[in-house]
Amino acid sequence: MIRQVSIFIENQEGRLNNVLKILAENKINIRSLNIADATDFGIVRLILQETEKGIEVLKKNDIITTVTPVLAAEVADDPGGLSRLVDALTQAKINIIYAYSFLPKKTDNAIIIIRVEDEVQQKAIETLEKVAQINLLDRETLLLK
Amino acid sequence: MYWNKSYECMPRENLQELQLERLKRMVNRIYHDVPFYRNKFQEIGLMPEDVKSLDDLKKLPFTTKVDLRDNYPYGLFTVPMEQIVRIHASSGTTGKPTVVGYTRNDISMWSELMARSLVAAGAGPHSVIQNAYGYGLFTGGLGVHYGAERLGASIIPISGGNTAKQIMIMQDFGSTILTCTPSYAIYLAEVLAESGIDPASLKIRAGIFGAEPWSENIRKEIEKKLKIKAFDIYGLSEIMGPGVAIECEAQDGLHVWEDHFIPEIIDPVTLEVLPYGEQGELVITTITKEGIPILRYRTRDITTIKPEPCACGRTHLRISRLQGRSDDMLIIRGVNVFPTQIESVLLEIGEVEPHYQLVVRRDGSLDTLEIKVELSEALFSDRISNLENLEKRIRDRIQSIIGVSAKVSLVEPKSLPRSEGKSQRVVDLRKI
Ligand SMILES: [Zn+2]
Repeated sequence: MIRQVSIFIENQEGRLNNVLKILAENKINIRSLNIADATDFGIVRLILQETEKGIEVLKKNDIITTVTPVLAAEVADDPGGLSRLVDALTQAKINIIYAYSFLPKKTDNAIIIIRVEDEVQQKAIETLEKVAQINLLDRETLLLK
Repeated sequence: MYWNKSYECMPRENLQELQLERLKRMVNRIYHDVPFYRNKFQEIGLMPEDVKSLDDLKKLPFTTKVDLRDNYPYGLFTVPMEQIVRIHASSGTTGKPTVVGYTRNDISMWSELMARSLVAAGAGPHSVIQNAYGYGLFTGGLGVHYGAERLGASIIPISGGNTAKQIMIMQDFGSTILTCTPSYAIYLAEVLAESGIDPASLKIRAGIFGAEPWSENIRKEIEKKLKIKAFDIYGLSEIMGPGVAIECEAQDGLHVWEDHFIPEIIDPVTLEVLPYGEQGELVITTITKEGIPILRYRTRDITTIKPEPCACGRTHLRISRLQGRSDDMLIIRGVNVFPTQIESVLLEIGEVEPHYQLVVRRDGSLDTLEIKVELSEALFSDRISNLENLEKRIRDRIQSIIGVSAKVSLVEPKSLPRSEGKSQRVVDLRKI
């Protein structure tokens, strides 16, 4: 399971940059970034190279953060790769709350970050483990990719 | 515990007899010594002798802040300056301040009432009172100071601001009672938490907070964060200063010291006197003051009078905690809105920190209300829909309780302006 850092920001110029600057100044590598937008606020979702240190420096700067458990699945970079993953979860009646891609440096495969309801997370893991050509990654493996 | 039991617990019948005798004397004096009041009496064809019962008070003219300003600085004083030993002033939002003068007897009476108030909130000669009200023209600092000295407590006249020093003194001097504005108490609690100081490690046991309206929820928050009992105190310089009314250990309304003041509640629009229990504007008459006696002063504070006997044994009427100011009252699309109402709703919704700002705009001919609320970590969710639901819950609650539709915007922590004194809760951008 992967620990994603979720951050609350106002939809105002400079707010995202403020978060990125704090992380940069503390030399914390962002491995993946996704932004979800509402009218006047947004949620920034990050996979950090050093999760704990990242949370600490963000909190010190009065930024609201929470840790969300997510899954990381490596799928073959071919046209059917992503749909195999979605199909498997749909058949198991597992709803994807959101998903976004992680940009690996060392593989041509696609890596998808998936958030499902906490209660069905284990079931999602079991479901995806059974699908050929999908490789669930743990934290260490993900960060090496 | 009482400071002056025979007066504080006087049977109501005797108390009212005393009030009438003092009111008659007061009306006589202002009629003869203050041209402003004499003119007002003559305009409505009243003579001092027409005041025969306490009920006759409602026939008498009001005094407003504007009257004080029109007679700036000393026009309403009833004694020559050589008898005035102290002058205070309260800053108005516009123009000149309102000025009040105290004779030696006035200062003595104020000290007595402040001593009663401190004792009602649990203070005694052994208390170490850290007085973080501002010293100066504002009555807060010196009012508490003289009362504490009268009581024989140890007073630390640190005055307002300089939070680091406040904390150092609190730790090193072993203060047992804190006196300041409620918003400063919250600020202090936040700074303590940030500095990693556990309030339980301090000797502080109680706080006496006033000079701005605050809600029951703010009380709970202060009590929880500072690990103290928080008491509400009421006063205003035009009447005297802090100590006009105080909460007792029952923490259910503030006793008005009726042997010196007569409280009434009026409808701020029709100016009719309202029966006990109804909400309206508080009007106070000073019946013993010498320097500047004030007849039926319109305080602009919104409250109710609670006539029920109090568990503490004091017989003096209580007013409920202030519901806001008729000046602060925002009229939005014809609905009266008090910031404190919004605050109660916000706190009721969840653990939202009570940091908010009301922004009123005029969009064409339509007033719009935006409520900016600082999001707390406890209510944060990484799902947009949960946060949108939170906004909606606040919006719906405000709609159903106050009857006004508002836009609710969640904002980042510490993003709204903080001041060490009064909070900046309302931004009115309407150009009228
Ligand atoms: Zn009482």
